[in-house]
Amino acid sequence: MPDDKFLILCVDDEENPLVLRKFLLQKAGYNVVTARSAEEAMEIAGRQDVDLVLSDYLMPGTSGAELAQQVKSHFPHLPVVLLSGVNEIPAGADVADAFLSKVEGPERLCEQIANVLSDRE
Amino acid sequence: MSSHDAVNILMVDDQPGKLLSYEAILQPLGENLIKANSGREALDALLRNEIAVVLMDVSMPDIDGFQLADMIREHPRFQKTAIIFISAVHLTDVDRLKAYERGAVDYISVPVIPELLRAKVSVFAELFRKNQQLEALNRELEQRVLERTEELRESEAQFRSLANSIPQLAWMADSKGEIFWYNQRWYDYTGTSFQQVRGWGWKVVQHPDHVDRVVQSIQHSWSTGEPWEDTFPIRGSDGEYRWFLSRALPIHDASGQIVRWFGTNTDITERKQAEDALVKSERLAAMGRLAGIIAHEINNPLEAISNAFYLLRDHASLDEEARYYARLASEEVSRIAHITKQTLSFYRESHQSVPVSLPEILDNVLELQARRLQLNGINVDKRYDSNGIVQGFPVELKQVFLNIIGNAIQAMPEGGQLRLHLRESNARGSGRHGMLICVLDTGSGIRREDAKRIFEPFFSTKETKGTGLGLWISRGIIQKYDGYIRFRSMRLAKGNVTCFSVFIPAAGMTRPTRTAATLVA
Repeated sequence: MPDDKFLILCVDDEENPLVLRKFLLQKAGYNVVTARSAEEAMEIAGRQDVDLVLSDYLMPGTSGAELAQQVKSHFPHLPVVLLSGVNEIPAGADVADAFLSKVEGPERLCEQIANVLSDRE
Repeated sequence: MSSHDAVNILMVDDQPGKLLSYEAILQPLGENLIKANSGREALDALLRNEIAVVLMDVSMPDIDGFQLADMIREHPRFQKTAIIFISAVHLTDVDRLKAYERGAVDYISVPVIPELLRAKVSVFAELFRKNQQLEALNRELEQRVLERTEELRESEAQFRSLANSIPQLAWMADSKGEIFWYNQRWYDYTGTSFQQVRGWGWKVVQHPDHVDRVVQSIQHSWSTGEPWEDTFPIRGSDGEYRWFLSRALPIHDASGQIVRWFGTNTDITERKQAEDALVKSERLAAMGRLAGIIAHEINNPLEAISNAFYLLRDHASLDEEARYYARLASEEVSRIAHITKQTLSFYRESHQSVPVSLPEILDNVLELQARRLQLNGINVDKRYDSNGIVQGFPVELKQVFLNIIGNAIQAMPEGGQLRLHLRESNARGSGRHGMLICVLDTGSGIRREDAKRIFEPFFSTKETKGTGLGLWISRGIIQKYDGYIRFRSMRLAKGNVTCFSVFIPAAGMTRPTRTAATLVA
């Protein structure tokens, strides 16, 4: 399905936030593919031409920071944005291109993603 | 002096034969016998020797016995010296003898009966000896009393210098509990005089909230004799109260009766403050952990709701009214998000600190508040005496001044003056160089009873508008920079003036701290 839209890989272990984020990004003009775990995300990133990974930071099993590390080691040029509801900038989050609080709101999220993507251009 | 010590007996007679016979009679007594042939010789002997008994003939040629006795008695040393007259019994003699009744005087008539003379001399000699012994004993006792008094004086002096050298306040009370002595440190600390605090006068330096309890507990000890211990504040000469651990122990005499109480007051203010601070910081840390958990649990669904309304509010299938509701819901959710972001999950947009211009930050805050400033009719007067560059994180510094300036604006609903002053300064205490920002308002002021609490979390004077976290968070942020926030609120005739001073070291914060500032305030 070749078009000029960016493809964003959304990762979250929770269904509702994941789906809503997907709709939000689609409305903002992106193609979105979702994964429910870091493992699934790595598998998708391996076979699809993903432009950006947007992952929850706190997930059971492999965390968002660990996923970011794996992405960076396999696909050095693929940008990663981490989303978190926690109070601190966690250790290992530095590897991501951006770190964003969930309460920043939808506009800010879209803005941040656009920024990271435009840096990539 | 042992009871066998010989005493001196003076025999006076103008006739040597008689002297010899007295000597023979008295020899068996084992005393020293001194002979005098005349009144003059007798006086001479008296002056040279300690005489126990004078034995004299009444009729002598130059001075008769009575005249001699008068002369002897005149001398203070001999007023009690025993005198035995030897005389033929004349009526006149008996009358004259009566004049001596008060002194130790006896007489013997001629012819002298040896046994009688010996017996009389012996009685006086023995009396003299006993007196001598008694006097010696008295002298010894007096000496011992003197020595003991000196020892007591020394030990008292030692006690006082000890009591004045200890760091505690110390005092003594009598058996009834009336304080009769305080050490110098007591007077130095309290600035009182003995007249003010004697007896029960010490109540004047007690805190009104504690005095009744303290009096009760001390009276309990006074009446039961149990050692006393209590902890309470005592007012210093500067008017400030400090906390003291106070103890008193009873001092008993040999029979077990309480004769006095010895008490001390030990300053434990710093220990108490450290304990209080520890409790407080533990409470805050626990609150921080709780806030972290809550933040996480709230933020996750909040994001989903926020996204859902965002999608809903412009959805094509909704009519105008439904979109309006969705927009309202969306706005309210943003409000929640704003609160949790501000309070529960503060985070930095960057890991690296940058040079921050405080004038820029302040101008930015004023710009954000421009509408409210205008609405309330507030005059702004700003003075930047420095470029105000510190190393740090602009977002959180902006949050600090938004809080403080926002509070100042809210305190002036009827208008007033808002004065911002930025200058370079050195920190009190450490002397570090940095920026001092003063935010002054002429608003409602801070009530004395609120002053101690305004930095506590969830403390708010704004009935519904505030979260009660603004200043708590601000202080937490500034403390991370090793700076401080202080305030003064004064009631002046013209109105109230409240001034918040924020000091930020110029070096600011160069290391990124990962823990959210607000939660370890």
